[in-house]
Amino acid sequence: MKTIIYTCPYVPAEWIAAHGLHAGRVLLDGVDPGFSAARAEGVCPYVRSFIGEVINNRGADGAVVTTVCDQMRRAFDIIVRNCDLPAFLMNVPSTWQTLAAQKLYVDELKRLGGFLIGLGGKAPSKDTLAETMLAYDDARTSIRSAREHLSAKQFAEAIAAGGSLKGEAFGDGSSDSGHPQAALEAATLRVPLAIVGGPLMKPDFDLLDMIEQLGGRVVLDATETGERGMCPKFDRRRLREDPLLELADAYFAGIPDASRRPNSELYRWLKRELAGRAVRGIIFRRYVWCDLWHAELGRLKEWCNLPVLDIDSAGDNETDRPRISNRIRAFMEMLQ
Amino acid sequence: MTDAPERITLEEWDVQYEKLRRAGMRQPQYGGPLSRHVEDGDHRLRKLRYDNSAAALRLWNFLLTEEDRLREARSAGKKIVGTMKDLGTVPVMAYCFDNVTAFYPDGAWWIPCVMELSDGLLEVADSLGIDESFCPVRAMLGAFVTGAHFPIPDMLICSVGATCDDFSAIAQRLNGLGHPIFWWEMPHRRCPEQDEPAVILPGGIAAPKCQVEFVKSELERVKAALEELAGERLDEEKLSAGISQANRVRQYLAELRYLAFTAEPCPIPALEMLIAEMLAIHFCSDRRETIAVLGELLEEVRGRVNAGLGVLDADAARIFWVNPVADLQVMNLLEDCGGRVCGTEYLFTHALDMIPQDVPPLEALARCALADPMAGSSIDRAERICADVRRFGAEAVLISRIPGASHCALEGQVISEIVAETLDVPVLEIEVPPVTDSMSPTLRTRIEALVETVRARRRATQGIRSDR
Repeated sequence: MKTIIYTCPYVPAEWIAAHGLHAGRVLLDGVDPGFSAARAEGVCPYVRSFIGEVINNRGADGAVVTTVCDQMRRAFDIIVRNCDLPAFLMNVPSTWQTLAAQKLYVDELKRLGGFLIGLGGKAPSKDTLAETMLAYDDARTSIRSAREHLSAKQFAEAIAAGGSLKGEAFGDGSSDSGHPQAALEAATLRVPLAIVGGPLMKPDFDLLDMIEQLGGRVVLDATETGERGMCPKFDRRRLREDPLLELADAYFAGIPDASRRPNSELYRWLKRELAGRAVRGIIFRRYVWCDLWHAELGRLKEWCNLPVLDIDSAGDNETDRPRISNRIRAFMEMLQ
Repeated sequence: MTDAPERITLEEWDVQYEKLRRAGMRQPQYGGPLSRHVEDGDHRLRKLRYDNSAAALRLWNFLLTEEDRLREARSAGKKIVGTMKDLGTVPVMAYCFDNVTAFYPDGAWWIPCVMELSDGLLEVADSLGIDESFCPVRAMLGAFVTGAHFPIPDMLICSVGATCDDFSAIAQRLNGLGHPIFWWEMPHRRCPEQDEPAVILPGGIAAPKCQVEFVKSELERVKAALEELAGERLDEEKLSAGISQANRVRQYLAELRYLAFTAEPCPIPALEMLIAEMLAIHFCSDRRETIAVLGELLEEVRGRVNAGLGVLDADAARIFWVNPVADLQVMNLLEDCGGRVCGTEYLFTHALDMIPQDVPPLEALARCALADPMAGSSIDRAERICADVRRFGAEAVLISRIPGASHCALEGQVISEIVAETLDVPVLEIEVPPVTDSMSPTLRTRIEALVETVRARRRATQGIRSDR
């Protein structure tokens, strides 16, 4: 089966899968020293890593890039000039409140469909799309319900794998992959925290373990690769009536992000989730040169009554680790 | 035409001003000696070199009195609209209303330069979490907070989507501070697919018809919002008349640019041309006066070209300039190093290309908006640059990076590569912060190296010719 790689949460895995292709949402490995843009300065480490991943990926048959951030949009130019992998730039509107913006997103999904067909995919029937959506919906439900039985890192890994698992169920806490019962009980004594920000890369998942080791417990993963980037549960009636519209609605309207204009839905979502999980502190994780998230830091601090710790990363984990560890330790001492 | 053209200092302008005044120079209401603006805090003016014509004086005075005009408009009961990011489209529409004055809050990015950081705007932005990792346009945030540089607009309109993240993020921060913003979507301009109906945009790039239709529908929303604010309906006739006026500005600029970039010797300095080009974006809060200012400048330049006069040596290296500079002094620096500007791409070519007048006016504006170089790929932008380098006969390309700007991080590489592949000209990339004093020697060295490279290539070419 041909594999289409992407990272953006606004690319519905179901749409790719329904075309008979493998939707491979990539969990980036970190900044690839083998790839160098002419200048690294000013380039978001995540974007740099993505460019490296696409250019060096030998298993992919196509790549989907989106316009959600300007640097990713520019990354597409670098990719098409530097590798032969077929690539598609999907226009995801920043505005979301108008019918025109919603229609544009649907039209872009259709255009993406054309790209997938060009790569050997098959236009899905309504039933095929609906069945695929149901399978993914079940998989996400399974992941969500497993959250309390998994460590934050395991949960993040489960979400990351979710796009590829296609309905495979997760443990209910009794499996070996979950936290042992004693560990779960100990975890409830730790300080409940949220991690908020853009996408994490694979090595960044260690940060979640680090937080737990230092006395915290991530009860809300509001990163792009975490719960925040998961599309909400489908409306099953609408899914049967018009699966493409339900797919578009769930993804386009259901994933809150800093990039939306206005991005009020992000704060509405955070308000609900922070209160619902009794969060006592926020770890704000951002990449250096990511303007969209960086600009939210000041607003988040003004908006919420919780302490916020800013953790920036240049993508160099070796250098970042001791500094981040010290900052989180100090943050935990303050909260405990 | 006034005197022999030359570049003069601010002190020299005071002398020149008295001379012109005694000679009977007619000045607009906002006229006066340039040095008076220094008393208002525009300290950078003391370090710049200016064209010595009365037309240039008028241009500078027009630019430096925009705040006064906005406050007068407010006092006169006009609605003030802050049009953000689209660089040249919404103001064309806004100026069709009798009681609306539009301006670009984005223009605040030059305040830290002009006031040599004495304004404190960047510090205000810092305090709001918008630090130096963002583009200097963050000064706009400070200007809104202090309220000291322009009246707070009655309405803010901002294009988003295929724009830079810096501006989008800063505008959202502004929104979060309690300033309502009317957002409109600018899609990423893409190539039409096979068999997809397409439209040729101003500037020559093709775009899918459906994208033009989408932008048109967004501009219809903008129009409705403006109509509600102004309490006045904007019909096609009025909009067409507004487009005609905008095209007069563009026509003047087209001729000015052609003469400035091709005539030997260079008839007008790069700095005045930069200011003149910027007027196309929003008419500096007075469209009628913009036309008059540019008309006078064009007359001056025509006179110089006809007389074979210029402000620079005839052998100045012909440089194509990419991106606007945050520090105006760098335009002087290029000329001090022996270069001249022969072609520009300051990120608003869509505000310079003529607006089509053979299609319905809103569609014409949609086509212009979609031609925005920032809305498309860096590859499109590079190809336009290559075409203009050829057209103006530039011998090198200088890409001026805007510090922190999201688009500059990667597009400079694409533009450099495509220019190098397509044209046999050297390319140099520099970074220009709002005040370059501390890095001036480095910048000078780099620009001098580019100029020397151009001259060496000329010698080599001449050598080859003489060998033949």
